[in-house]
Amino acid sequence: MASNPMQQFTVHKIGPEIKIAGVDLSFTNASLFMIISASLILLFLYLGSKERKIVPDKLQLIAEMSYNFVAKMISDTAGSKAKPYFPFIFSLFMFVLICNMVGMLPYSFTVTSHIIVTLIMALFIFIAVTVIGFIKHGFKYLSIFVPSGVPVVLLPLITIIEIISYLSRPVSLSVRLFANMMAGHTMLKVFGGFVVSLGILGGWLPLSFSVALTGLEILVAFLQAYVFAILTCIYLNDALNLHH
Amino acid sequence: MKSFLSFLTTLVVTKADLFAAEAGMPQLDPQYWASQAFWLILVFAILYISISKFYLPKIKDNLDNRENKIKEDLENAQKHREQSEKKLQEYETIVENAKKEVAKILLESKNNLNKEIQSKKQKIEKEIENEIIKAQKEIIEMKKNSITSIEIISKNIVSKIIENISGEKLNESSIKAVVEDISKKNIDRYL
Repeated sequence: MASNPMQQFTVHKIGPEIKIAGVDLSFTNASLFMIISASLILLFLYLGSKERKIVPDKLQLIAEMSYNFVAKMISDTAGSKAKPYFPFIFSLFMFVLICNMVGMLPYSFTVTSHIIVTLIMALFIFIAVTVIGFIKHGFKYLSIFVPSGVPVVLLPLITIIEIISYLSRPVSLSVRLFANMMAGHTMLKVFGGFVVSLGILGGWLPLSFSVALTGLEILVAFLQAYVFAILTCIYLNDALNLHH
Repeated sequence: MKSFLSFLTTLVVTKADLFAAEAGMPQLDPQYWASQAFWLILVFAILYISISKFYLPKIKDNLDNRENKIKEDLENAQKHREQSEKKLQEYETIVENAKKEVAKILLESKNNLNKEIQSKKQKIEKEIENEIIKAQKEIIEMKKNSITSIEIISKNIVSKIIENISGEKLNESSIKAVVEDISKKNIDRYL
């Protein structure tokens, strides 16, 4: 019995070891599933934009719906100034969503359940947003830490809190996605293990729970991708429209 | 949601602790961190570039095309509707004019017909009257003529009767005078 619910998260090498400048960059199952997810996205977008019909077929409709969904999300949270970043947010949303969804398939690997992956995405967003903020507003961007309408006595304290919350953005962003994915998949594995160990007599209860959890996990997979994208939009909004 | 997530996390943490003895969390094993980072950046960069360069412009184009097409079609439809409304109005005025003209023509022809009938009637009536007058004259003439013939016949009859009775031939002129006298006395009864 594969009783270790954490075993599904192990990364192992596929093919030869690749070492560049002493760093191990081998192709792993994580890389494989990244490529699978990206290929699925590209295939979906290719099929969805291949035929330019006035009345769309199903795939084209889904592609256009996802386009409009992300476009609306950006314009609602970050306004029209965020338009140049639309391709990035769209790619990010689709990548996280499809990685989460591919991870829901049995025997697959969930790319987003690894803290290093989510942390790199979150750090990139954090740094990019900070750089954009400084480019757009110069040193005035620092006023993001000083909210207006706060009593002078409280100002130093609030500023410190603001700085801490700003700096913890990449951590919260990455840990939220990683923890959700890992927790969900571990739960599924644990209940799956219960089904096997309790057998045909007692296994029905954990099995039904497992089915329900699968539905919940699919919801969480979508929700976390959405949250990841919309938080990126909100951070971008802070950098583009300084309004404190 | 939050409480549920924290519940899940605690569960996972306790569960993970149970098995941590042998493996722990593979996520925290730094052996493949560099590899994952490298492949993530590579794959995501390719994904981002192909999405932003090829697919999003295509989808946007398509959406814009559709919007333009719908707008155009709506405009065309509006134009066509206006045109048809104008045509309908034109048609209605034409029909109305035609109706008016028909009424006029009807009235005129009625009047003409009446006039013609009247004049023909008068003419025919006159002719009939003339004919009647002529016939009456003829009848009177004939009556007059018949009286003279009756006179001659009656004179002859009278002279014969007298001759037969008396055996004597009377003067014709006297007979004639007597007959004429009698007929003159009674002529009003016949004319």
